[in-house]
Amino acid sequence: MDHQARVYDSVLDLLPTEENPSPLVRLNALAVPGSTLYAKLEWFNPFGSIKDRAAAEMVRQLQREGKLGRQADGSIRGIVEPTSGNTGISLAGIAAVQGFGMRAVVPSKVPAEKRVFLKLLGAKVDVVSDSLCPLPGTEDGTIGMAKTHARASADRYVMPNQYENLANVQAHINTTGPEIWRQSGGKVTHVFVSLGTCGTATGLSTYLKAKRAEIKVIAVQPSPGHDVPGLRNLSELGVSKLFAPELIDEILEIPHELAYRRAMDLARHEGLLAGPSSGLIYEGARRIAEREPVAFGVVICCDGAFKYAANLAAHLPDELAEAIE
Amino acid sequence: MTNYAHDDVLVSTQWLAERQKDASVRIVEISVDTKLFAAGHIPGAAELNWTTQLQDQVQRDIVSKQGFEALLSAIGVRPSDTVVLYGDHSNWFAAYAFWLFKIYGHADVRLLNGGRAKWLSEPDRPLTTDVAKHAPSSYVAQEPNIALRSKLPEVLAHSASRAVNLVDVRSADEFTGKVIAPAGLSETAQRAGHIPGAISVPWSKTVNEDGTFKNIVELKTLYADAGLRTDRPTVSYCRIGERSSHSWFVLKYLLGHNDVRNYDGSWTEYGSVIGVPIER
Repeated sequence: MDHQARVYDSVLDLLPTEENPSPLVRLNALAVPGSTLYAKLEWFNPFGSIKDRAAAEMVRQLQREGKLGRQADGSIRGIVEPTSGNTGISLAGIAAVQGFGMRAVVPSKVPAEKRVFLKLLGAKVDVVSDSLCPLPGTEDGTIGMAKTHARASADRYVMPNQYENLANVQAHINTTGPEIWRQSGGKVTHVFVSLGTCGTATGLSTYLKAKRAEIKVIAVQPSPGHDVPGLRNLSELGVSKLFAPELIDEILEIPHELAYRRAMDLARHEGLLAGPSSGLIYEGARRIAEREPVAFGVVICCDGAFKYAANLAAHLPDELAEAIE
Repeated sequence: MTNYAHDDVLVSTQWLAERQKDASVRIVEISVDTKLFAAGHIPGAAELNWTTQLQDQVQRDIVSKQGFEALLSAIGVRPSDTVVLYGDHSNWFAAYAFWLFKIYGHADVRLLNGGRAKWLSEPDRPLTTDVAKHAPSSYVAQEPNIALRSKLPEVLAHSASRAVNLVDVRSADEFTGKVIAPAGLSETAQRAGHIPGAISVPWSKTVNEDGTFKNIVELKTLYADAGLRTDRPTVSYCRIGERSSHSWFVLKYLLGHNDVRNYDGSWTEYGSVIGVPIER
């Protein structure tokens, strides 16, 4: 592949690797004196988010194991996955190229834009209410529905299960970590991430701390009651088996409304069309940089603003609501 | 199973798995998410839909005796059958259906302990999309047992007299009036709060993480600590009557209290009535 010419045989050749990293862009207007922060723009990945990495790795693993695609009896087995949208979109994109079916089970609070993109890519979409009062178990909701499809229709679907699948961690050990190490010339001192499946936090930390133990991995969580898709407050993290608190140096809780406000700041002051989780992570990075020097900080910008137009307008009515009235 | 007052109303996943071929054991799924059955269900199970089948479709009420007979006849259940009910969310609406089965006098009805989630959490338990065919029956129900149900006038009297335990099984935020209903649910009320004199024992405190019921000692302690008087009758309520059916089941069948009733009008009725007293 010639990444300089940027001519490819398949959109899948655009999936990020150390040779084809997502961009790092230095923050200027929003820089904190005495610190240097770079935004890593994951919406430059072919299906628009950091989840392209985990999706690709999980698909590769399932294909190696013969569990996905054409089976011995001639049938084609596809994927069913519980997702807040981005993993589903990445999986649906890969499925569209490779010709297997994709069924996404999404919570009802997922933005309409993501549901449309899933359907646009040909996925079947099940919308599951996620607003019932708190449940002790975790087998209900989207995970329960996806597991039900995977078990009742095992001939049609296999479930990668991003919440438990170590390929989700391996993806970041293989790609995101080496990319940041090389892009920073080994100078990276801090990485700022959010917590969802925790694949990014666990994978990045595993890789970077092996390179240099002093590199800090700081996780940002939204305050309880948030509606930032894909992110979890610590109280909601029981669902992920990939959460490894020993690999995270610090967890900051940020008022969730700032996710949307800081996303707008990134757009207005840096020209970065980043999504609300990126806004939240940037706010975490800013707070750390005001407390201590951050020589080379990387702010993971999980996806772009494009899928959150209505959410952004709803959360920033004074600035944006007029645009969609 | 674990020294509950009535051990014959609860079955384990293992018990059910061993009786998959037993024609006298009929399985019925009633889930909050009515799309789950089509996605996959326990082999042999029939489905009852809480939104369209278990409630009168014109006035707000439980399904009529004739309606109940028609439903059970259509899925081929006979009065002599052992019926095992299960569903999502720790059997919320399966418990509501259990209450209906008891109202209409079905002799042997049981809950699958832990419900759908427990079955799903055990890797070897099968699910299918095939809907089993059962020959229709001619189900004849009993006259409704009104001693299992409370209506608004009684609840108002109990609230005034304080002679009956009123158990609010909703979440703490609903009880204190912080919210009228959990976000996103369509059935709601005009006002927030709780019935004066009610004690708060959220349904979720009666189950373990895997959705199975807590043991008898934990359940006794839970209600004792909340101030439930075991020498008095009890009425449970929630928002629309399904979570309160779950706690009704616990109080009546697991703890063995004699006079326990479900106020299925619950907060959507009480919180919308003009002039009734509300506490926050």
